[in-house]
Amino acid sequence: MYALCLRLTGDAGAAEERTQDVFVRAWDKLRSFRGESLFSSWLHRLAVNVVMNERRTTIRREQRVTPVAAPEVLERGHGEPTIGLGIDLERAIAALPEGAREVFVLYDIEGYSHAEIGEMTGIAEGTSKAQLFRARHLLREKLDR
Amino acid sequence: MNERELLEAVGRLPKSIEPPRDLWPGIAARLGRRWQRWYWLPLAAAAALAAVLIGRGGDRGAWPVTWLAGAGPASLRVGEWVETDASSRALISVGRIGQVEVRPRTRIQLLVAHSDEHRLALAHGAIAAQVDTIPRLFFVETPVGTAVDLGCAYTLEMDSLGNGLLHVTAGEVEFEGRGVQVRVPMGAVVVTRAGAGPGIPYVEDAPEGLRRALAASDVRGALAAARPDDGISLWHLLQRVDATQRGAVYDRLTALVPPPEGVTRAAALALDRTALDAYWTHIQRILFRKGILRGVRDIDPRTGTRMR
Repeated sequence: MYALCLRLTGDAGAAEERTQDVFVRAWDKLRSFRGESLFSSWLHRLAVNVVMNERRTTIRREQRVTPVAAPEVLERGHGEPTIGLGIDLERAIAALPEGAREVFVLYDIEGYSHAEIGEMTGIAEGTSKAQLFRARHLLREKLDR
Repeated sequence: MNERELLEAVGRLPKSIEPPRDLWPGIAARLGRRWQRWYWLPLAAAAALAAVLIGRGGDRGAWPVTWLAGAGPASLRVGEWVETDASSRALISVGRIGQVEVRPRTRIQLLVAHSDEHRLALAHGAIAAQVDTIPRLFFVETPVGTAVDLGCAYTLEMDSLGNGLLHVTAGEVEFEGRGVQVRVPMGAVVVTRAGAGPGIPYVEDAPEGLRRALAASDVRGALAAARPDDGISLWHLLQRVDATQRGAVYDRLTALVPPPEGVTRAAALALDRTALDAYWTHIQRILFRKGILRGVRDIDPRTGTRMR
């Protein structure tokens, strides 16, 4: 959950807050879980909604190209040891413009479709595709440097 | 780097990233504040207002019945029955708040269909209920007691005498009968016995020794077999045993799941409602956290915090 929030927000502090929001929200909404999907999928979707809602209700700051507040937290992943490229990639994702980053995380990392992303973020499917193209282009450019 | 290489690199990113600090204390504090405040008051007020605005007759019409296998009446009115045979199954829409799947060899009757009370009677058989509303709007009467929905999903199977099993898969259900009331949270079950009402709830993976001891009212056996995960069982047991055994049950419970701040031994032994409710909320939160993080992170069943 923290990984999802961190990648969507690109900010370690915000990710901590959103992760806490997700669990508080999950507690409140537990009775709406109907068992029609995996609990993890339900929780995942809830997390995306929490992050998106927060973004909508916060006064929009200038388009950020801000690196994560503490990039070292990205090196604490589980499972396979993260190779250098992984760390660079995490930093590069965090530095993407907000809209491009969200679409890239949701599509390429989390596996949602453009239609689902449109529904969750309130953008058109075409915009989602354009943002994905932009994100991939920026990432490749950055990682090639 | 081409696009394929980029996507391969994405595929190698870690699925999980550990937060730099344990976030649970903050979550627990926020849940605690909301709980202690008049959390349910606005909801209850809203529900009452909605009931007034909609009018008590809001759901008085027939509840639609969809037959998943076999055939039968397409709707259910107050006083009418739905009955399935060995091969038929039906889905009853519970007003506007949920649905009940009626499984084979089941007989069920609609008793009340008001917007502020939805009540069925299960004569025998099995149902799976999913309800999405505020607590205490949906009830299922059985030969041995009543299942009260607290916002949840559950299965309930019972014979015509009252021998049965309630299994909660989401939220929480209260079951009351024969002067006994139990709370069954997500991931727990309770067995009912004809003439005896509900037994003591236990979690799905409770050890066989604990189940046997609870069924046999063997208090010492139950205390010996209980693990930290079995806090809900000991919490109920505390209220079932006589005063001479209560201390031993409380001590075992606190050894397995330390009580939250503010719960004292004296208050618990006196069965003070506030203390018991606070302890219950604490135990239930640990269960909740364990449930949602199953397979992701190991949670200490004594405290609800991350295992080190």
